[in-house]
Amino acid sequence: MTRGARRARLGVALLAAALVIASGAPASPAVDLTGVWSLTGRHSALRTLEGTLPPLKPAARAIYQEHRRAAARGDRSFDGVGRCLPPGLPRLMLMDEPFEILQKPQALYFLFQLNRLPRRAYFGEQLPPDPDPLWLGYSVARWDGGDLVIESAGFNDSTLLDDAGLPHSAALHLTEHYRLSEDGRHLHVRFTIDDPQTFTHPWDTAADYVKRPGYEIPEEVCADHTRLRSR
Amino acid sequence: MLVAIILLTGTAAGAAPPVRTLFNSGDPTLALTPPLKGAGPAPPGSAAPNPDPHDLQGVWWLQGYEYLLGPEPGVAPPLKPEYMQVLERRIRAKNRGTPEADASTQCLPHGMPRLMESPYPIEIIATPGRITFLHEVAHNIRRIWLDRPHPAHPRPTYLGDSVGHWEGDTLVVDTIGLNDRTFIDDEGSSHSTRLHVVERYRKIEGGAELELVMRVEDPVTLEHPYSYRRIYHWRPDVRPQEYICEENNRNAPVNGVTVAK
Repeated sequence: MTRGARRARLGVALLAAALVIASGAPASPAVDLTGVWSLTGRHSALRTLEGTLPPLKPAARAIYQEHRRAAARGDRSFDGVGRCLPPGLPRLMLMDEPFEILQKPQALYFLFQLNRLPRRAYFGEQLPPDPDPLWLGYSVARWDGGDLVIESAGFNDSTLLDDAGLPHSAALHLTEHYRLSEDGRHLHVRFTIDDPQTFTHPWDTAADYVKRPGYEIPEEVCADHTRLRSR
Repeated sequence: MLVAIILLTGTAAGAAPPVRTLFNSGDPTLALTPPLKGAGPAPPGSAAPNPDPHDLQGVWWLQGYEYLLGPEPGVAPPLKPEYMQVLERRIRAKNRGTPEADASTQCLPHGMPRLMESPYPIEIIATPGRITFLHEVAHNIRRIWLDRPHPAHPRPTYLGDSVGHWEGDTLVVDTIGLNDRTFIDDEGSSHSTRLHVVERYRKIEGGAELELVMRVEDPVTLEHPYSYRRIYHWRPDVRPQEYICEENNRNAPVNGVTVAK
């Protein structure tokens, strides 16, 4: 779909969002996620909350095992991140570099240090029924009590779920639950990964983040470090 | 070659304007890329502009698009002679079909002031102590700090270190700390790490337009500082979209003109 057609479709979405807001969307609570956040712990090879390998279907398991074998022999050509392509989601949320959240009434903005990638999650609207495939998908946000819930779909299938090479399909539907600690310094996020083409059933993983007051995200430019294929 | 033919045969059929050349020389090897019409106002029925002069938030879209960012359209920046020769060399290379690589073609940030001359929308967000510009083009982000001065020795970056303050209804943004890997403009005007850019933003037309007066200063490459003026349209009907240069994105036409291939 062309950029222009996408814009036209977005115009409809914006109108719908305006109607939702006008009809009385739930007010956002006193929780403010604005700030810079750093991941704690390592999440380079995702496991379920139970600590098991995600429930891969046989074909996806074969792809995963091939990625593991390639990585073991030093071949990471399966991973577009090495060519400065976006990591997709939830992987972008589970990498070591910090990100900044700007919370506004219309959207939650994530500004990642990693190659300056932006992510928007719009309040007051539903996921489109057939979103165009994008590297970072299409995200909508809502408040559920004090928790923030973000639902995302419309991913292309060119990314991986983790550094280890866990695959996904374009049918990936991601749900994130964000809970801020009472002191406002810790953020807990539960990720629900629903991709019936890749996994036998939906599964959850989780991560914790710590706030980084005073940290300014520096300009990080992937293409400075990596020769793109045109060179 | 097409440019050269049009130049030699006069104005093409219809109302097409004559092709501009550097110094108005008429030399087809110094032909400038024609400007684009750029964006217009929001369509009827769009949300009304926010008249608050101190709230610049929302999506803005540049009217027009110049490939040469001098004091007037079609006029080069006041480059010192040795840098004017570099600009001539780059324009000639472009017109031969073998342009010199610039930062944006390598998916590097566009630098300043060039980034503000993009035919893609810009979303402005305000948070305490900060104004943030989210550019659709190549996911560029500018952070403008309202609550701190420049560092004494900023690490040179593509978009520099930006600090802002309000003078009445005008947001003044001061940017230094720029590296010298980018050009002032698409045609290839040079700048140094001593580039100093001052932007003055002011809402006009009841908030339907954002006026920018851009001042460019570089004691290494420029004879003297200069300024130019731009208008951005309030576009609540537009959302910036995912733009992944690293994917070798194909650019769709803007106002019927393909920006780049």
